[in-house]
Amino acid sequence: MSETENNYNELGSVLIQKEAIASIARQSTLQSYGVVGLAPKNLIESIHQLLKKDAKYGVEVNFDHEGLLIDLYIMVEYGTRIISITNSIVNSVKYNVEKTIGLPVRRINVHVRGLRISNMD
Amino acid sequence: MSVVELTKLSPQERHKLVSLPVNGQGLKTLMEAGMIWLKTNQQIVNNLNVFPVPDGDTGTNMVLTMQAAFDEIEKSGDENIGQLSHTIARGALMGARGNSGVILSQIWRGFARALDDQPTMDVKLLAEALLEAKETAYKGVVRPVEGTILTVIKDIAAQAKVSAQRTTIFTEVLADIVEAAEASVERTPDLLPILKKAGVVDSGGKGLFCIFEGMWRFINGDALDKAVTEVMPLSEMNLEDTMESVEPGQDYEVVIDFSPESTFNLENYYDELSKIGTSIQVGEGDGIYRMHIHVPLDKRYLPIDHTMTQGTIQKVMMENLVAQMEGKKSDKHPKINLAQVKADETAVVAVSPGPGLSRIFASLGVAAIVQGGQTMNPSIKEVLASFENLPTDKVIILPNNKNIIMAAKEAASMTVKKVHVIPTISIPQGISAMFRFIPDAGLEENTESMIEAIDEVETGEITTATRSVEIDNVQVQKGQVIALYNGKLVTSTDNIDTATEELLIAAKTCDYERITLFYGEDMKLTHVNALADKIRSIYPDHEIEVHEGGQPHYQLIIAIE
Repeated sequence: MSETENNYNELGSVLIQKEAIASIARQSTLQSYGVVGLAPKNLIESIHQLLKKDAKYGVEVNFDHEGLLIDLYIMVEYGTRIISITNSIVNSVKYNVEKTIGLPVRRINVHVRGLRISNMD
Repeated sequence: MSVVELTKLSPQERHKLVSLPVNGQGLKTLMEAGMIWLKTNQQIVNNLNVFPVPDGDTGTNMVLTMQAAFDEIEKSGDENIGQLSHTIARGALMGARGNSGVILSQIWRGFARALDDQPTMDVKLLAEALLEAKETAYKGVVRPVEGTILTVIKDIAAQAKVSAQRTTIFTEVLADIVEAAEASVERTPDLLPILKKAGVVDSGGKGLFCIFEGMWRFINGDALDKAVTEVMPLSEMNLEDTMESVEPGQDYEVVIDFSPESTFNLENYYDELSKIGTSIQVGEGDGIYRMHIHVPLDKRYLPIDHTMTQGTIQKVMMENLVAQMEGKKSDKHPKINLAQVKADETAVVAVSPGPGLSRIFASLGVAAIVQGGQTMNPSIKEVLASFENLPTDKVIILPNNKNIIMAAKEAASMTVKKVHVIPTISIPQGISAMFRFIPDAGLEENTESMIEAIDEVETGEITTATRSVEIDNVQVQKGQVIALYNGKLVTSTDNIDTATEELLIAAKTCDYERITLFYGEDMKLTHVNALADKIRSIYPDHEIEVHEGGQPHYQLIIAIE
């Protein structure tokens, strides 16, 4: 199942694609301070990325009956406090996804895949 | 010398301290002044926080970051400004908290890099350092959002560059920077629509401005320990608590209601008052100002004389505090009897915003109380301290507020005790959970049944809007009474009774059995009883209870179950 059911009434149902949730998560991750980019989840994805742009790049969305499970794969700026940055990401992704989609977010895992060094001190 | 000691210097002497070139100790002094002023304005900054997540902690995060940076240099006698700024940057990095804290640490990092190991700093170097600070701050994010602290440091850097070409005097450049920062903060709502919608300026930007303004105020000899322009709504003036801070010699309490003249300048008014006495508070509501001050015997008429020059006095109240204190000690806040836990029992810690609620929690078997609630989040340390000394290692925390759950979880992760946080987001949820609590049942068992109990109660809150805003399609004017049902805004109106009735309708009260009202510190019991009677006539089949909550800000907290 790649769609999640948000709500329904006698007229029909609202189905939300994982891609939609992924783009919101992706957008607010990239706007979070300290994040300098997303990273491939695995080798296949890194090859995939060369060929075609994918809304789910660096973001993985799953769900169970309790809510959404989001995994984020990111690159962080060297010389910043990573624990603060990842906390902010979790807060802002949870807030934005829940506000726009209306589904509870149960878990967000942030995978720091590497650091980008712009300046050495 | 600390800033506190330095404030005894005359403005001329202060100017000399940062006269060119500025060395390490000069920067250290400025840092401390900026930090103190930010701390003074912390709550104002917190209240502005709507982006990226409206959790009201920007000011706190920035203060903690600045504090961490300053702690590193506090003992340092380093004259070399380059080396000292690297120490600041390292401290800021290690202590960075929240989004704005991380950005602040990047600003200091860039600043330090530009200074390298220069012994002193002139205006040219200051401009370069601020430019590098801005560059570094922008490098930390792929999609910079304008209308935030980033925009403010950008405008500061641009202004510093222009000013450094015009003059070589440090204080002149600093004055320009502060002015540019203020203008930049004012512009943030134009750049970030969400700010405009909420009717606020950016909180992080405001915080950064406060740091620079603090430096400037220090040089000018202005006070750093009180926010001059802060006027609170009348209902928030907490005159009770000022009793605890009576200083020897300040024997008289004077409260004056007055309507100010059109030329009234709050800042000057405050300054004059601070020469007369202590514990100064100024509140405003419906065009009336209320002033509160503690003064010594021989100065007890001065506040009246001074206020008469500023407007028309309507009412003066004067009390002898010494006599009042004697009487107060006996009857104020009867002692709260907390539950005594044994080694193998489970203990509950509840966060409570008022003495009445604390007593209710205690009577239900809570072993420790942490003071806190809306706009007064307890620190992780306070939560931790509340249960560290309990004689058991099984602890349950009831945060009773959405903004405190995180702090409670952090505290839970920092101890060796087994701590579970029940995610209660309101007082009624906390009380409902407490009803299920059994001291000698296990931690898991209690947690499970207490979590279940959360959903069995509906929460209503009645409070006063602190600013004009539109949320959930409800228009609210500052000063109006608003009703929140499970945290969602239901209605805005002009009196508490109507707000409560509309709230009960929105909460589908007919489907429930019992309504409990916890009234706040600025509600009169007679008013609550009249309201309870009214509710009884509308819902004759419901059980209606009234308890003293004593919480600030919220006139009523309502449990519907």
